[in-house]
Amino acid sequence: MTTESISPPGRTAAPAPESSSAASVRASRASWRPGGTRAGAIAANVTGVLVIVLMAFPVYWMVNTSFQRGIDITGPHPKFLPLGTLDNYRKVFHQGAFLDAMRNSLAVTLMTVVAALFLALLAAVALARFRFRGRGSFIVAVLVIQMVPLSALIIPLFKVMDSWQLINSVFGLALVYLVFVLPFTIWTLRGFVAGVPVELEEAAMVDGCSRFRAFRSITFPLMAPGLIATGTFAFIQAWNEFLFALVLMNRPAKQTLPVWLQTFNEGAKGTDWGGVMAGSTLISIPVIIFFLVVQSRMSEGLMAGAVKG
Amino acid sequence: MTAQPLSPPRVPPAPVVARRRRHRGTVILPYALIAPAILVLGLVLGYPLVKLVLLSLQKFGLAQQFGTPAPFVGFDNYQQILTDPELYTVLVRTLAFCAVTVVLTMALGSLLALLAQRIHRFIRVTLLTMLLLVWAMPPVSSTVVWQWMFDSQYGVVNWLLTKLGADFQDHSWLDTQFSFFTVATLVVVWMGIPFVTFTVFAGLTQVPVEVLEAAQLDGANGFQRMRHVIVPFLKPVLLILTTLSVLWNFQIFNQIYVLQRAGGISRDTNLLGVYAYQVSIGQNRFDVGGAIAVVMVLLTLLLTGVYLRQMAKQEDQ
Amino acid sequence: MKIVALAAVGITASLALTACGGSSSSDSGKSASGPKTGTIRLWLNGPDTPQSIVDYATAEFAKENPGSKVVFERQQWTGIVAKLTTALSSSSSPDVVELGNTDAQAFEAAGALKDLTADKAALGGDDLVQSLVDSGSFDGKFYGAPYYGGARVVIYRKDLFKKAGITATPTSTQEFVDDGIKLAQKNAATKDFSGIYLAGKDWYPSLPFIWDNGGDIATRTGGKWTGQLSSPGSITGLNVVKTIMDKASKAPKDGDGTKDYVAFCNNQVGMLMGPGWKVGQIIAKDGGCPKMADKIGAFALPGKTPGSLAPAFLGGSNIAISAKTKYPALSLSLLKIMTGDGYQKQMAALGLLPAKKSLLADVKGDSSVQAQAKAATNTRFTPESPNWAGVEASSTLPDMFVGIAKGKDVTAQAKTADAAIEAALNR
Repeated sequence: MTTESISPPGRTAAPAPESSSAASVRASRASWRPGGTRAGAIAANVTGVLVIVLMAFPVYWMVNTSFQRGIDITGPHPKFLPLGTLDNYRKVFHQGAFLDAMRNSLAVTLMTVVAALFLALLAAVALARFRFRGRGSFIVAVLVIQMVPLSALIIPLFKVMDSWQLINSVFGLALVYLVFVLPFTIWTLRGFVAGVPVELEEAAMVDGCSRFRAFRSITFPLMAPGLIATGTFAFIQAWNEFLFALVLMNRPAKQTLPVWLQTFNEGAKGTDWGGVMAGSTLISIPVIIFFLVVQSRMSEGLMAGAVKG
Repeated sequence: MTAQPLSPPRVPPAPVVARRRRHRGTVILPYALIAPAILVLGLVLGYPLVKLVLLSLQKFGLAQQFGTPAPFVGFDNYQQILTDPELYTVLVRTLAFCAVTVVLTMALGSLLALLAQRIHRFIRVTLLTMLLLVWAMPPVSSTVVWQWMFDSQYGVVNWLLTKLGADFQDHSWLDTQFSFFTVATLVVVWMGIPFVTFTVFAGLTQVPVEVLEAAQLDGANGFQRMRHVIVPFLKPVLLILTTLSVLWNFQIFNQIYVLQRAGGISRDTNLLGVYAYQVSIGQNRFDVGGAIAVVMVLLTLLLTGVYLRQMAKQEDQ
Repeated sequence: MKIVALAAVGITASLALTACGGSSSSDSGKSASGPKTGTIRLWLNGPDTPQSIVDYATAEFAKENPGSKVVFERQQWTGIVAKLTTALSSSSSPDVVELGNTDAQAFEAAGALKDLTADKAALGGDDLVQSLVDSGSFDGKFYGAPYYGGARVVIYRKDLFKKAGITATPTSTQEFVDDGIKLAQKNAATKDFSGIYLAGKDWYPSLPFIWDNGGDIATRTGGKWTGQLSSPGSITGLNVVKTIMDKASKAPKDGDGTKDYVAFCNNQVGMLMGPGWKVGQIIAKDGGCPKMADKIGAFALPGKTPGSLAPAFLGGSNIAISAKTKYPALSLSLLKIMTGDGYQKQMAALGLLPAKKSLLADVKGDSSVQAQAKAATNTRFTPESPNWAGVEASSTLPDMFVGIAKGKDVTAQAKTADAAIEAALNR
């Protein structure tokens, strides 16, 4: 692939020792801001706020509705302030299955994310840093798997899980989610690993580090944003998946949150809007927590640029 | 065979390629690294994928699921699908919908990522958190909310528009094909933007600063920097995101299915995902389901084939 | 090359593992009656059967089968067919399952359920409601015992009737439609007022008009299904529906009808056609309007001939035993309890139509329950074919009715629907 980049002076040499540390490279990249006029900055900020309002409106509507009474939700005048009632939340908690579903979802999702990131990182390093026969076909095979409409696999996949006694098993469902997210996570992480120039590792190895140590201290922190993005992707895929959770966890005690939420949306009787919205709001919270925890731990992560400003 | 550590293609090649001593460990290392992933994928998906293709060549309905023998019928199932005129109407609709949604999602998502770099810290954090909330919203919830917002009698959109003067009382948004797909596009793009924005934003952090600064010093303005520096560096990320968006939007099922139940005439608004469901799983015809899945994979391969070929060739260099 | 080798190993391993531990084909069901004691799993769907009644059944079961117990697992209706398809064929199949009467045929034809022909008498024999016996039988054999039924009735505003000068509930289709139009005209000032609320996609309430005029959805002669929606009788019925939609209903033309209770509570409805639980939904504290309770009445939909009843669509469920159950005798014991008088009388007390004809008189409740009991004396059903699920999955009937609601030509819409139905049923 040819790049139309302007050839940068001095880029190709190994960076000078005092700036070769991953942290400073990371920091300099993350904190770089495009130059520009003050008017441009104001315009950007205003656009940002506008985007927030527009994109967030359905989310606001969900949270707002969760605090409204039934008659107000379906009344002629929509209410815009979430000051109606806590009854929807009471109902959701009293329903009983919520905490069990939360526990199941957390277990399945965390297993999926950890396993996916681990396996995908190994594969990504192999694909990005090594040249070996079959590399191209492996990548293509991985992408072809992504092309299969998953719903068509329900019957045979159920049979496989059943034969391994993994129906109604948190581990079984996590295994299924793992193979669903692996293709994408491998592929994306490969891009991020490749985005860290190998010269940095080599410089560290010249300094005496082992290959593994060089990877861990140099490359790993630099591709951290990729880990966060793909980790979040894996988390959300597993957290919100419905079809396989419905079929593979057919005992109510084992159901996950998306399946539990659907009980408020049972077809013939219409939707219990207050219940669905309250349940949805509650379900969204762990995702936010996960994201905030993960990114704060990886301090040179995605938000580093945001925080340092 | 030597497995040589290779500089990543995106960076201009170093003048000196470091030579490594040949270790036996280095030779098998890449295979050892990808082995766990292959093992998991093979064990879990191996049988189902093979079975899917087998199913497409058999007569396999609910009876066969419960033990009745499944006779081989060759390509009958494929014939049934490919001679159904509705398939082609649905296919054209799906391709159009896919194209529109992918372009919008990629463009808006990437623009948001660029915007996020340029705004004040506090707004950036709020923006990214808000996008995360959007991304994290369970599909059940988002489809219910969007449906509710556009409800002809009780929706807030009609209420707002009427308040603003236009007569949108009881306006049905799912009535005509165009209107239906406008709402569907809105929902799908809205749901797809956060993923693109987060991944592109992460990718942007890897663009080498020195190059950007040099370009700035050379007098390049924002647009030129984007074109000549950022886009080339982001190309792999953008390509994978586009490919994935194409895959997902091609298969899209949930949003269309839910919106169809809420309004409109299903026959006019079927996309490939819903159509596939109707002729296969919806009727317990798993044989047709297998055939449709194979056809969809082939179609998707066609759509993304050029990119895949380039990818395979490039990787084997 | 190593990749291919590794992949081949993986696939072979997975195939081998599946083959070794795999589930075998279904048992003949004629094997021994299973262990004397054990734990059996019961699946009931939706919120329809309250916990108290299930507790009664499990207690009775424990009394009759000392040492054994029932584990109750409540399932959602959403995706129940996919769940049953996988679970009933798995190595840990539930023992007793509830099937919607429109889904039952497909599973019976597939051999997923245990043949209960020999036990039919013990389960109620001729006392069982015929329509549910029909949906529970296939090819001359009996698989699914009737569980409960429900028929639609007309729910109306007594006060609005009075205001419009309507002194008695309609006794014929013509009166019904005329009353609906009258209500619509008298209440035209109210926004979106429907004399008869009939949403486009809600096709169940429209079936009685088709049947009452001699039409049908489809009939089978020899082995072939023929669509009957474009037959003269059906067209007459469809035109009645068209009149209602054009002149009496302001419900969304492509709506699914699930928000009818919202409109009712907003004083926008004179009459609507709904299932037995609809009144409960309207006056529910959570989301409904309890204050309207004393203004609500109900009657069974009248037929063409004054004084007659229009054939009502009987919704309901069958309850069956999995072909793969390890405890056939215990499962049958539970089934007998659930179709037994003690259990069914409690269902009747809730306003659900019981599985036995002799218990119809025991149905207690408000006017809608009484009306439902009356409507249940004349019921019809959708075509009894395992392929009917496909017709429902393709939304053929809702599409037709939405087309009619939007003013398209009735005969043309009916013909399109017929073609689709024939293609699906004759597959």
